[in-house]
Amino acid sequence: MFTPLLDALILFTFTTPLAGLIGRRVRHEKTAVATYATFALIFSLMLVLVFYSEVLWGVSFLAEHGSALPPEGASLEAGALSMFLATIFLIIGSMASLFSAREIEGESVTGYYTVLLGIITAMIGVVFSGDLFTLFIFWEAMCICSYVLVAFRRERWESIEASFKYLIMSSAGGITILFALSFVYGLTGTLSIPYLSMSLDGSGGNLMVYAALLMLIVGFGLQAGMVPFHMWLPDAHMAAPSSISAVLSGVMVKAGIYGLLKVLLVIFLPLRGSWQTTLTAFAVLTMFVGNLSALPQDDIKRLLAYSTIANSGYILLGIAIGSNRALTGSMFHVLNHALIKALLFLCAGAFIHRTKTRSLSELAGIRRAMPITGAAFIIGVLSLASIPPLNFFWSELTIIRAGVEAGMPSLSFLMILNMVLSSAYCLRMIQAVAVKKETSTSKKAKEVPLQMLLPILLLALLSVIIGVYPDPFQTLAETVAQAISVRA
Amino acid sequence: MVPSNYYIACSMILFSLGLYCLAAKRNMIRLLIGLEIMINAANLNFIFLSSYVVEGSVHPLAHVFTILSIGIGGCIIALGLVITIYAYRHYGTLDVRELRRLKH
Repeated sequence: MFTPLLDALILFTFTTPLAGLIGRRVRHEKTAVATYATFALIFSLMLVLVFYSEVLWGVSFLAEHGSALPPEGASLEAGALSMFLATIFLIIGSMASLFSAREIEGESVTGYYTVLLGIITAMIGVVFSGDLFTLFIFWEAMCICSYVLVAFRRERWESIEASFKYLIMSSAGGITILFALSFVYGLTGTLSIPYLSMSLDGSGGNLMVYAALLMLIVGFGLQAGMVPFHMWLPDAHMAAPSSISAVLSGVMVKAGIYGLLKVLLVIFLPLRGSWQTTLTAFAVLTMFVGNLSALPQDDIKRLLAYSTIANSGYILLGIAIGSNRALTGSMFHVLNHALIKALLFLCAGAFIHRTKTRSLSELAGIRRAMPITGAAFIIGVLSLASIPPLNFFWSELTIIRAGVEAGMPSLSFLMILNMVLSSAYCLRMIQAVAVKKETSTSKKAKEVPLQMLLPILLLALLSVIIGVYPDPFQTLAETVAQAISVRA
Repeated sequence: MVPSNYYIACSMILFSLGLYCLAAKRNMIRLLIGLEIMINAANLNFIFLSSYVVEGSVHPLAHVFTILSIGIGGCIIALGLVITIYAYRHYGTLDVRELRRLKH
């Protein structure tokens, strides 16, 4: 038995093919499976909000253990950070599931929804696990599901190519994590996260500890889109179906961030001096490479994927600064980036659904043909450019303030420079979608059906609400950040 | 404390062989074999190092973990081979240099 949430999700995942089978009998396979999967995700979201809201606000702490004693056995635990991330995963997952009801066509709808539920379940397993053993198993399950989803349109060459590249790089990252785990286990005799942080306390100076630390940073950083290991990300996020891009870019990158948080701020906290500089260097490099490569892109999904790399750099910078305010900013940015990137990818998906092209120059002036999607897209892009009354502004401001307070104003300056770079490509996107004259492709487009509009509008509404009224969300992020530091 | 040992050296060598294979080889199936070598290196290291936790015997957790990770490795390689088959149907070759159309 796991926690009730994970139990419910695993049950839903394995019964999705059954829903497909029943649906096929009554000749409505797609409707049946899509409804079932969306219902399952929304039900789980309700489960979180109703039963775990105390955990989310940091009031109580929940832990369930397997049969063996904690230092040796496998265990699950859910603190404020886990519930915070699980809520984000479920929100984005249900939106993507709702959206893909119209986007995905063809024979293998049932398979698609099963794997989509599987990836959300595995991600929640990752954030719920109390030891690195459970984390690794769920981690690999998540990765395998995502390879399948990237290669889902297997008749297209780009999906195959992106998926193979992604499989090779990401599995190498996973194996690096496994190799590091073997060192950690050999040194301490445990894989349980709270015990590890105690056992590694006095072990500075041992070469094997540093090797394990570096390998873990590389392995988790690869999934978070950290720069020397980011080559798979634009390809995979571009070639996947748009609703999957929203899941990959919005939340799967955050699973990598979660792994880094656990490893650096909980397990290896005693060795902070040794990883802080490295992580700062990686973070700055990630921001610059992400933003600079996004500038010349013409492919709308590729541009958004590069901007994901840049935003991952902001979050990593917050972790590297490491003060309480910086972590608050990082956590707030995790929430904001998940919402905005999902919104933008779904809007891009809506454009692509109607025009069959990803090129910004061909999508010129599409706002006039698709007014609602266009407006939501412009809201998202304005937020991405950190215009004040929208949500990105607040989290980025928090990270910048934290940098100044922690005595590292040069880092804050670098981040402001990056925000200027990012607003350059944001303005270019707005110009392309809203200002330029229509092309023959974009003239023919029609507004997308309600099932596609609903998730887009909900996400746009959420980001405006967070932007206008950020206090409760900021408090929530602060609670989560404090929970990380307290546990450490 | 774990002593430096031939086993660690062996698994390190295997791991770097796998990495070399990923970096240098061009055949898609060879890349997958490189991954498999890396997985085996990690598992070997795990079993070896776990024998130092309890003197003289390997802890059951390490056994469970290694068996599960062998299973996961099998899944990854199987999926990789499926993608390889589709790639072969599209491109008519297994050379990864042909799979460079995504670069801009």
